[in-house]
Amino acid sequence: MTSIELNNVSLVYRLFEKLTLSAPGRRRSNLGGNIAKSGTKQVVQALDDVSFELKAGDRLGLVGPNGAGKTTLLKVLYGIYQPSGGRVSITGKVDALFNISIGFRPEATGRRNIVLRGLISGWTMAEIEEKMEEIIDFSELGDFIDLPFKAYSQGMAARLAFAIATALEPEILLMDEWIGAGDASFQEKAKQRMDELAEKAGIIVLASHDDALIRRVCTKKLTLRAGRVESLT
Amino acid sequence: MIAVLNGAFDDISKAVRLYRVWIALAHEDIGDQHRRTTLGPLWMLVNYFAFVSTFVFVFVTKDASNPSYPAYVAIGMLVWFYLSEIITMSVSLFQREASFIQGTTLPLFVYVMRLTMQSIIRAGYSLAGCVLILLLSGQGIDTNWLRSLLGLLLIVLATPAFIMVFAFLGAFFPDSEFIVGNLMRVGMFLTPVFWVYSGQEGIQKYAYHWNPFTYFLEGVREPITAGIFPTHALVVTGYICLGTWVLALLLLGRYRKRIVFLI
Ligand SMILES: Nc1ncnc2c1ncn2[C@@H]1O[C@H](COP(=O)(O)OP(=O)(O)O)[C@@H](O)[C@H]1O
Ligand SMILES: [Mg+2]
Repeated sequence: MTSIELNNVSLVYRLFEKLTLSAPGRRRSNLGGNIAKSGTKQVVQALDDVSFELKAGDRLGLVGPNGAGKTTLLKVLYGIYQPSGGRVSITGKVDALFNISIGFRPEATGRRNIVLRGLISGWTMAEIEEKMEEIIDFSELGDFIDLPFKAYSQGMAARLAFAIATALEPEILLMDEWIGAGDASFQEKAKQRMDELAEKAGIIVLASHDDALIRRVCTKKLTLRAGRVESLT
Repeated sequence: MIAVLNGAFDDISKAVRLYRVWIALAHEDIGDQHRRTTLGPLWMLVNYFAFVSTFVFVFVTKDASNPSYPAYVAIGMLVWFYLSEIITMSVSLFQREASFIQGTTLPLFVYVMRLTMQSIIRAGYSLAGCVLILLLSGQGIDTNWLRSLLGLLLIVLATPAFIMVFAFLGAFFPDSEFIVGNLMRVGMFLTPVFWVYSGQEGIQKYAYHWNPFTYFLEGVREPITAGIFPTHALVVTGYICLGTWVLALLLLGRYRKRIVFLI
């Protein structure tokens, strides 16, 4: 059964102190996590004691000001970051869309990029071939699919990225504020596909500043502020 | 210790299962480097050829007594370029792969194998040039060539370990990129790539005996230029290979989850 459970998860980024001649005074900021010093290093507490639980069919919207820790949280869920403290348990096949261009090679054609992205996500060649036409159809790229990726607009790239990430029906889909790149008709299609995913008892976690989008797509809303959970509704 | 090694083997076995990824990416890399040229990857052959001929042309008068000198330089350059390329490229490996490392959950060993694969493909072109020079310089094909394969095999086996060690070095000490880059440039002159050691005293003696690269070179070269089986060189190379792998596995097991925070 697909599920996500986080218990008291925290994450600190350690930065090496760079030699600097500028004044040491710091301004307080309403954005971001808390900057502190530990020994010679600066640390940023990006997540602080985050706990929540998601069940199959849940669609969680992550909101909060810039630097609240949304991206960091998604990367913890995906497994890119190991939390500094706390426990993460995830059941289900996860796919994620962070940065649209990750894993796309500018010089290669869209078709070749589908293969590369598929391989990177751990698909077999057979799975890739089977999904190829469907991905091309869904992205509506038409003949552009045989042009190099560098000839695509932001929105076209977003369509392709989304089509690939959802083609194999991941049980858990993580998305970082980017979906706004597509046009209205694509956003409608994307929403439909996310609905289908969630109906098949998947989990979606979507970080966005677009309140309307969150309301349209999500069933739960988690507000982060300075790395802490402010509210979960 | 056991846990550390388990972590390393876990990373490696996941990467091995993803072999299609690094093979595909390595091919893309080679393709991209030469996409807009007419000769394409053949440029690597031309480069190698130009380099070897220059050295042979400049030094052959001095060493006229040594008929196998072209073969000596050709093999020396082949191995030296390969090793120096993987080392200089590894120091910045994780930095170059930052967007992948921060955006996917691919095991780190995938990037190591991507570079290994890429270097081997490139070396294939130099190897073709090397064989050509050997034939042109009058070294007939004989069974001694087969003995060189063992040396080549050890080099290939050591490659992922070297890449890992230098990649972690570069991630933890960014300055090492420049230190290593400079050392490798000087290293070519401190390694018997194009000069022949024949028992002189002084700096050449140390540069010959205390330089690990010497043994990698001699393991491949001695069978062809001297006609002997390079037992000593192969034993030393074997130990270096083993030691580097142990170090590499410990680093990978211990620090693989830290890399994403360092780049
Ligand atoms: N690689 C990094 N190194 C150091 N600090 C970082 C890094 N990435 C993010 N941070 C810090 O962590 C906090 C949370 O960032 P992030 O998760 O990207 O926020 P959001 O996605 O909500 O805008 C911020 O204070 C940011 O400055
Ligand atoms: Mg963000």
